[in-house]
Amino acid sequence: MENRLRMMRAERGWSQQDLAERLEVSRQSVNAIETGKYDPSLPLAFRIAELFERTIEDVFVSPSRRSSKAI
Amino acid sequence: MAYSDFTPAQRAHTKRIMWLLLAYVIVLPPLVWVRANTAVAGYIPALMAIVASIPVLGIFASWGRYVSDERDEYHQALALKRIAVATNATMGAAVVWGFLQAFGAMPLVEAYWIPFVWVIIQGMFGCIEYFTRKNEEA
Repeated sequence: MENRLRMMRAERGWSQQDLAERLEVSRQSVNAIETGKYDPSLPLAFRIAELFERTIEDVFVSPSRRSSKAI
Repeated sequence: MAYSDFTPAQRAHTKRIMWLLLAYVIVLPPLVWVRANTAVAGYIPALMAIVASIPVLGIFASWGRYVSDERDEYHQALALKRIAVATNATMGAAVVWGFLQAFGAMPLVEAYWIPFVWVIIQGMFGCIEYFTRKNEEA
Protein backbone atom coordinates (compact mmCIF):
# COMPACT_ATOMS: atom_id res chain seq x y z
CA MET A 1 0.00 0.00 0.00
CA GLU A 2 1.29 3.41 -0.94
CA ASN A 3 2.12 5.56 2.09
CA ARG A 4 3.95 8.67 3.30
CA LEU A 5 5.88 6.93 6.04
CA ARG A 6 9.35 7.51 4.61
CA MET A 7 8.67 11.21 4.17
CA MET A 8 7.18 11.59 7.66
CA ARG A 9 10.09 9.69 9.19
CA ALA A 10 12.60 11.86 7.29
CA GLU A 11 10.86 15.02 8.53
CA ARG A 12 11.65 13.95 12.08
CA GLY A 13 15.18 12.90 11.22
CA TRP A 14 14.59 9.31 12.29
CA SER A 15 16.31 6.31 10.79
CA GLN A 16 14.33 3.15 10.01
CA GLN A 17 15.86 1.65 13.15
CA ASP A 18 14.69 4.64 15.26
CA LEU A 19 11.15 4.26 13.98
CA ALA A 20 11.25 0.48 14.44
CA GLU A 21 12.27 0.92 18.09
CA ARG A 22 9.46 3.41 18.69
CA LEU A 23 6.93 1.06 17.12
CA GLU A 24 8.44 -2.04 18.76
CA VAL A 25 8.81 -3.81 15.43
CA SER A 26 11.87 -4.87 13.41
CA ARG A 27 13.71 -2.56 11.02
CA GLN A 28 12.79 -4.97 8.23
CA SER A 29 9.11 -4.38 9.04
CA VAL A 30 9.53 -0.61 8.71
CA ASN A 31 11.35 -1.06 5.40
CA ALA A 32 8.69 -3.45 4.07
CA ILE A 33 5.89 -1.03 5.02
CA GLU A 34 7.68 2.01 3.58
CA THR A 35 8.31 0.29 0.27
CA GLY A 36 4.70 -0.92 0.11
CA LYS A 37 5.71 -4.59 0.19
CA TYR A 38 3.82 -5.25 3.40
CA ASP A 39 0.50 -3.82 4.54
CA PRO A 40 0.46 -3.46 8.32
CA SER A 41 -2.40 -4.76 10.43
CA LEU A 42 -4.96 -2.21 11.61
CA PRO A 43 -3.51 -2.08 15.18
CA LEU A 44 -0.01 -1.38 13.78
CA ALA A 45 -1.38 1.19 11.32
CA PHE A 46 -3.04 2.98 14.26
CA ARG A 47 0.23 2.85 16.24
CA ILE A 48 2.07 4.42 13.31
CA ALA A 49 -0.55 7.14 12.86
CA GLU A 50 -0.64 7.90 16.60
CA LEU A 51 3.16 8.08 16.79
CA PHE A 52 3.14 10.78 14.10
CA GLU A 53 0.00 12.39 15.59
CA ARG A 54 -1.86 11.98 12.32
CA THR A 55 -4.84 10.00 11.09
CA ILE A 56 -4.39 6.69 9.27
CA GLU A 57 -5.52 8.39 6.04
CA ASP A 58 -2.70 10.93 6.43
CA VAL A 59 -0.16 8.13 6.51
CA PHE A 60 -1.62 5.52 4.15
CA VAL A 61 -3.15 6.14 0.75
CA SER A 62 -6.41 4.27 0.30
CA PRO A 63 -6.00 1.92 -2.72
CA SER A 64 -9.59 2.63 -3.84
CA ARG A 65 -9.14 6.42 -3.70
CA ARG A 66 -5.84 6.12 -5.48
CA SER A 67 -7.40 4.12 -8.33
CA SER A 68 -10.43 6.45 -8.57
CA LYS A 69 -8.04 9.42 -8.83
CA ALA A 70 -6.23 7.64 -11.64
CA ILE A 71 -9.55 7.27 -13.51
CA MET B 1 20.33 -10.89 8.45
CA ALA B 2 22.87 -10.69 11.27
CA TYR B 3 22.04 -12.53 14.49
CA SER B 4 21.69 -9.14 16.24
CA ASP B 5 18.84 -8.33 13.80
CA PHE B 6 16.88 -11.40 14.90
CA THR B 7 13.67 -10.85 16.81
CA PRO B 8 13.54 -12.37 20.34
CA ALA B 9 11.26 -15.15 19.01
CA GLN B 10 13.72 -15.91 16.17
CA ARG B 11 16.60 -16.12 18.65
CA ALA B 12 14.66 -18.49 20.90
CA HIS B 13 13.63 -20.60 17.88
CA THR B 14 17.21 -20.76 16.55
CA LYS B 15 18.48 -21.80 19.98
CA ARG B 16 15.83 -24.54 20.24
CA ILE B 17 16.65 -25.82 16.72
CA MET B 18 20.38 -25.97 17.52
CA TRP B 19 19.75 -28.02 20.68
CA LEU B 20 17.36 -30.33 18.85
CA LEU B 21 19.81 -30.89 15.98
CA LEU B 22 22.54 -31.61 18.52
CA ALA B 23 20.24 -34.12 20.23
CA TYR B 24 19.49 -35.71 16.85
CA VAL B 25 23.17 -36.03 15.95
CA ILE B 26 23.91 -37.58 19.36
CA VAL B 27 20.91 -39.95 19.48
CA LEU B 28 20.76 -41.28 15.91
CA PRO B 29 24.18 -42.98 15.35
CA PRO B 30 23.98 -45.29 18.39
CA LEU B 31 20.40 -46.28 17.50
CA VAL B 32 21.41 -47.07 13.91
CA TRP B 33 24.42 -49.03 15.16
CA VAL B 34 22.31 -51.06 17.62
CA ARG B 35 19.71 -51.80 14.93
CA ALA B 36 22.39 -52.92 12.45
CA ASN B 37 24.58 -54.93 14.81
CA THR B 38 22.31 -56.48 17.40
CA ALA B 39 19.24 -58.70 17.28
CA VAL B 40 16.75 -56.35 18.89
CA ALA B 41 13.20 -57.67 18.80
CA GLY B 42 9.72 -57.11 20.19
CA TYR B 43 8.76 -53.55 21.02
CA ILE B 44 12.39 -52.37 21.18
CA PRO B 45 12.76 -51.44 17.44
CA ALA B 46 9.53 -49.41 17.62
CA LEU B 47 10.79 -47.68 20.77
CA MET B 48 14.13 -46.93 19.09
CA ALA B 49 12.30 -45.47 16.06
CA ILE B 50 10.22 -43.21 18.30
CA VAL B 51 13.32 -42.04 20.20
CA ALA B 52 15.02 -41.21 16.86
CA SER B 53 12.01 -39.19 15.72
CA ILE B 54 11.61 -37.12 18.90
CA PRO B 55 14.19 -34.40 17.98
CA VAL B 56 12.56 -34.01 14.53
CA LEU B 57 9.14 -33.75 16.13
CA GLY B 58 10.68 -31.11 18.38
CA ILE B 59 11.80 -29.13 15.33
CA PHE B 60 8.21 -29.01 14.04
CA ALA B 61 6.92 -28.11 17.49
CA SER B 62 9.50 -25.31 17.61
CA TRP B 63 8.19 -23.92 14.31
CA GLY B 64 4.68 -23.89 15.75
CA ARG B 65 5.89 -22.16 18.88
CA TYR B 66 7.86 -19.61 16.84
CA VAL B 67 4.80 -18.63 14.79
CA SER B 68 2.81 -18.28 17.99
CA ASP B 69 5.55 -16.35 19.89
CA GLU B 70 6.57 -13.97 17.08
CA ARG B 71 5.38 -10.46 18.02
CA ASP B 72 6.65 -8.86 14.83
CA GLU B 73 3.74 -9.28 12.42
CA TYR B 74 5.88 -8.87 9.29
CA HIS B 75 8.23 -11.69 10.29
CA GLN B 76 5.26 -13.78 11.36
CA ALA B 77 3.69 -13.28 7.92
CA LEU B 78 6.97 -14.23 6.22
CA ALA B 79 7.25 -17.39 8.34
CA LEU B 80 3.68 -18.41 7.50
CA LYS B 81 4.38 -17.82 3.80
CA ARG B 82 7.54 -19.97 3.99
CA ILE B 83 5.63 -22.73 5.77
CA ALA B 84 2.85 -22.64 3.16
CA VAL B 85 5.33 -22.77 0.25
CA ALA B 86 7.35 -25.60 1.81
CA THR B 87 4.22 -27.58 2.71
CA ASN B 88 2.71 -27.27 -0.78
CA ALA B 89 5.98 -28.10 -2.54
CA THR B 90 6.73 -31.07 -0.26
CA MET B 91 3.23 -32.52 -0.46
CA GLY B 92 3.26 -32.07 -4.23
CA ALA B 93 6.63 -33.79 -4.54
CA ALA B 94 5.47 -36.61 -2.21
CA VAL B 95 2.35 -37.24 -4.32
CA VAL B 96 4.27 -37.26 -7.62
CA TRP B 97 7.00 -39.48 -6.18
CA GLY B 98 4.39 -41.81 -4.68
CA PHE B 99 2.75 -42.37 -8.06
CA LEU B 100 6.12 -42.72 -9.84
CA GLN B 101 7.02 -45.34 -7.24
CA ALA B 102 3.68 -47.14 -7.62
CA PHE B 103 4.17 -47.32 -11.39
CA GLY B 104 7.69 -48.62 -10.95
CA ALA B 105 9.38 -45.54 -12.41
CA MET B 106 11.21 -44.55 -9.22
CA PRO B 107 12.79 -46.48 -6.36
CA LEU B 108 11.30 -46.66 -2.87
CA VAL B 109 12.21 -43.69 -0.67
CA GLU B 110 11.82 -43.84 3.09
CA ALA B 111 8.96 -41.64 4.35
CA TYR B 112 11.21 -39.84 6.86
CA TRP B 113 12.78 -37.95 3.95
CA ILE B 114 9.55 -35.95 3.56
CA PRO B 115 10.18 -33.69 6.60
CA PHE B 116 13.80 -33.19 5.52
CA VAL B 117 12.63 -32.07 2.10
CA TRP B 118 10.17 -29.71 3.85
CA VAL B 119 12.96 -28.18 5.95
CA ILE B 120 15.28 -27.84 2.93
CA ILE B 121 12.61 -26.17 0.77
CA GLN B 122 11.73 -23.82 3.59
CA GLY B 123 15.39 -22.92 4.09
CA MET B 124 15.87 -22.35 0.36
CA PHE B 125 12.78 -20.16 0.14
CA GLY B 126 14.00 -18.23 3.21
CA CYS B 127 17.39 -17.64 1.52
CA ILE B 128 15.76 -16.47 -1.73
CA GLU B 129 13.50 -14.15 0.30
CA TYR B 130 16.46 -12.78 2.27
CA PHE B 131 18.68 -12.07 -0.73
CA THR B 132 15.78 -10.57 -2.70
CA ARG B 133 15.05 -8.22 0.22
CA LYS B 134 18.75 -7.32 0.63
CA ASN B 135 18.98 -6.61 -3.09
CA GLU B 136 15.93 -4.34 -2.96
CA GLU B 137 17.22 -2.51 0.13
CA ALA B 138 20.64 -1.88 -1.51
